[in-house]
Amino acid sequence: MKYFKASFFIIMTLYLLCSTAFAARIEISAPGEQTIPLALTRLLPMGVGGAHPAVATEFQQVLLGDLELSGLFDMTNPASFLSDAGKLGLRRTEIDFYQWRMLGSEALIKGGYSITAGKLTIELRLFDVITQRLLTGRRYVGKVTDVRKIAHTFADQILKSLTGEKGPFSTKIAYISKRTGHKELYLMDVDGYKPIRMTNHRSIVLNPDFSPTRKELIFTSYKKGNPDLYRKEIYTGQESRLSLKSGLNIGGRYSPDGREIALTLSKDKNSEIYLLGTDGTIHRRLTNHYSIDVDPSWSPKGNKIAFVSDRRGNPNIFIVDIHSREVTRLTFEGKYNATPAWNPKGGRIAYSRMDDGIFNIFTIRENGTDERQLTFGSGNKEHPRWSPDGRFLIYSNDLGGNGKSIWIMRADGTGAKRISAHGGNDSHPAWSHRW
Amino acid sequence: MLKSTIARLAVMLFVLTLLAAGCAKKPATEEAAVTEQSTQMEQQQPAGVEEQAVTDTGYDAAAVARKAERDAAKGLEPIHFDFDQYVLTETAKSTLVNNAGLLRAAPAVKILIEGHCDERGSDEYNLALGEKRALATKNYLVSLGVVVERMSTISYGEEMPIDPAHNKAAWTKNRRANFKVKR
Repeated sequence: MKYFKASFFIIMTLYLLCSTAFAARIEISAPGEQTIPLALTRLLPMGVGGAHPAVATEFQQVLLGDLELSGLFDMTNPASFLSDAGKLGLRRTEIDFYQWRMLGSEALIKGGYSITAGKLTIELRLFDVITQRLLTGRRYVGKVTDVRKIAHTFADQILKSLTGEKGPFSTKIAYISKRTGHKELYLMDVDGYKPIRMTNHRSIVLNPDFSPTRKELIFTSYKKGNPDLYRKEIYTGQESRLSLKSGLNIGGRYSPDGREIALTLSKDKNSEIYLLGTDGTIHRRLTNHYSIDVDPSWSPKGNKIAFVSDRRGNPNIFIVDIHSREVTRLTFEGKYNATPAWNPKGGRIAYSRMDDGIFNIFTIRENGTDERQLTFGSGNKEHPRWSPDGRFLIYSNDLGGNGKSIWIMRADGTGAKRISAHGGNDSHPAWSHRW
Repeated sequence: MLKSTIARLAVMLFVLTLLAAGCAKKPATEEAAVTEQSTQMEQQQPAGVEEQAVTDTGYDAAAVARKAERDAAKGLEPIHFDFDQYVLTETAKSTLVNNAGLLRAAPAVKILIEGHCDERGSDEYNLALGEKRALATKNYLVSLGVVVERMSTISYGEEMPIDPAHNKAAWTKNRRANFKVKR
């Protein structure tokens, strides 16, 4: 153990020195365009804990899923691995980098695990094969059930080491599911693992959003008859009504600093965008138009809000400056543009457009130029929301007639895959901030 | 003798007169008594009927009101809208004229107007649209003389379709405002 502790600190130092080795080579905002040939070896037992193949298998599967989803890697086929893959040696000098060069791998992940006294220790290294340098090293100690969490956390670390920006794999996704027959709030991992039901309102729960500063969610529920805005602490389960004005209290979204909530109220008999304090009091009204104004989404700086309005006829995306209240129109194409989501890293706004009765996901620059269609074909893709690093989008998709499910894809529309199981009619996903 | 005979005659005449008077008087009093009795009965009889009639009218009013309430609860027809519209169609207006009649006849009835949308469109936009539909319906009923305080509105957007199918027929049915009588 002493060896590991000592090497851990050396590794951490090396990590700080070397973490930017690949950084210049990868464009964060354009995953999938450039890939690194990466070899992911299986975790080997280390120390006295003995072999627990199930741990190694689960870890491998979870980490591989994240790495593949990132679109940054071209995974070296494990069947072609040579003898070095079977050796525990985690020190730079113990690794036969030439074997990995022969296979065309430019990066290498090696690791070991041990389980002693109910504690799981996983130690991991990411190497640059070409320069034979350690890029990042990590040791994780947790419960035996923390395997997935450790794999996701290391995946985030790998992305940080290679791109300068952490991955989003250890965060959470909130969404609405009708699995029980009622629309309730759920929480799951980014890969769809372990959905947990958070509400039991037996009514209609809609539109969750995470607080950026606390382990807290807001959402709308008809529990007491009217669509009111609720707040719920995730760990204590404590719940309260935050806004219960007559009419709609919907589409609540925390500001980037967590101090205000933008939402739609219709207390004056028409839907308008308002800002609330976190105590539920109205700070200011942002729109004033007889048309429908819904679906606010904050700019990363918190000075503007994108929203949906039919003030020029059909539903389109507009942007309001929260200080001057000046409104500008963002989308002009298509007849039905809705549910805007501003990339938290800035640059683009995602939304859903209905053409010929089918919703697909588009993005557009904040200045209204360079509109791109990300999804195609049948299946309604709605409610896009960005990952906290701006690399991925989640959305609902009813492809295949099994009701809606939650899907994930890269910001350029590639790598789309379903993450929530069929049969729940799952919708309204929201991505947590750093967990 | 003659004197005594005259005297007897006079006495007899007196007695006869008395008798005659007595005979004539008796039936007269009896008649009066009968008349009195019958008058009393006649006076009592209509009073009793009237009392019952009052109770009858009271019972009827409650029943009539209850019937009007039942009619309103059963008879308030939903109205339908065009896609992405909350403007009332002519058909919707004539349905509302009928609904307003039912509501005016049952002034104690309070109603909840629910605005609904079809599944197309975004959920949040449809919540706002459903509310516009409910409010347009309420305002028209107000213009037809239904007291505004009797009506409240709620929007369910596309959350509560009456036909869950994904086709035009279902969408037409689901774009609606319907009425619930509040208890």
